[in-house]
Amino acid sequence: MKKFSNTYIFIYITVLVLVIAVVLTLVTTGLKPRRDFNKQAEKCQQILQAAGYNGLDRQKSVELFAKVAEKTSTDSIEQYKIVCSDGTTGKAVRLDGKGLWGAIWGYVVISEDGTTIKGITLDHKSETPGLGAKITDETFLNAFKGKKLYDKDGKFVSVRVLKPGTSAEISAENRVDAISGATITSRGVDEMMRTLSH
Amino acid sequence: MKQYLGPLSKDNPILVQTLGVCSALAVTAQLKPAVIMALSVTVVCACSNFIISLIRNTIPPRIRIIVQLLVVSFFVILVDQVLQATLYDISKMLSVFVGLIITNCIIMGRLEAFALSHKPLPSLLDGVMNGIGYGLVLVVVAFFRELLGSGTLWNHQVVPDSWYAAGYLNNGLMILPPMALILVGVMIWAKGSLNHSTSRS
Repeated sequence: MKKFSNTYIFIYITVLVLVIAVVLTLVTTGLKPRRDFNKQAEKCQQILQAAGYNGLDRQKSVELFAKVAEKTSTDSIEQYKIVCSDGTTGKAVRLDGKGLWGAIWGYVVISEDGTTIKGITLDHKSETPGLGAKITDETFLNAFKGKKLYDKDGKFVSVRVLKPGTSAEISAENRVDAISGATITSRGVDEMMRTLSH
Repeated sequence: MKQYLGPLSKDNPILVQTLGVCSALAVTAQLKPAVIMALSVTVVCACSNFIISLIRNTIPPRIRIIVQLLVVSFFVILVDQVLQATLYDISKMLSVFVGLIITNCIIMGRLEAFALSHKPLPSLLDGVMNGIGYGLVLVVVAFFRELLGSGTLWNHQVVPDSWYAAGYLNNGLMILPPMALILVGVMIWAKGSLNHSTSRS
């Protein structure tokens, strides 16, 4: 076996690291616009879906989003004014929370008077497939449509995500059924919805 | 030629050498991510085999593992970036598992066992074959998990609606990792007893 001096090893590894670092930096910078576009397009798609526009691909989403939505975000909350698919105006608000394994987030579209949910989309980083990941299922999301954020006395209760049969004091129009087997993720969605008070 | 065909069956990285099992369990709930994952591993395995083989005489043995890791992670980051830019949905589905290709024992194993002692072209071929051997198992596992777990293949529904109407239910267990472990286990067992009986005769 050849003998390699320490100087050789030191120079060898330095050059190798430098070469790899430079190439990777070039590639990452070169692809950045496309990655950013994908992220942005996905956001548009999710907000539009919450507003009732279904079956749009990314490219179309971005175009439509530019037409119907307008950014009204404040420093702390990301929100948009948006014309929904049924022609009414609503406001889309970004939600952030935590599930069982990682972050969960979504967009909720609320009617102009701020009382009724028009639609919602949720997404997650790493919830369990078949259990927590079901928060992205249409059946779960559709349950939110038409629910009220305030109770009959005009007090804010948000739309609670609760196990069927518990907390009977909360009326049907202020609650949706939690996903069985996904208690923690459901609780995460519940807490996220409660942040809508401000 | 025979030694290159080994990874496909007799010397399969997952079934015989039981390497790379972790990712085989994680990304096989559906066919599409499984195929993309298999392609990614094949690309990384072949390219790093090729590069390491090219520079094998210049690598100081004392730091060879570090050099291998550098080359492997270079290709993994490259694949990850390209996936994020072109196949965004898939890259989201594969999430951390693309990054974890770095730790896939198949790749380091091939570098140590083959690339360091062979010429570049044979090494490239060896990498491709091992990637395919790994991919085959992934595709078989994903086929059964998607078919029985979601009633779809490549995101197209194959179980007819009439079955669901008649009371057929998707097997929810199939979507979860434990069932993948059982499937891979059964395959390893079948392969093992098959190999055993041929070596006896």
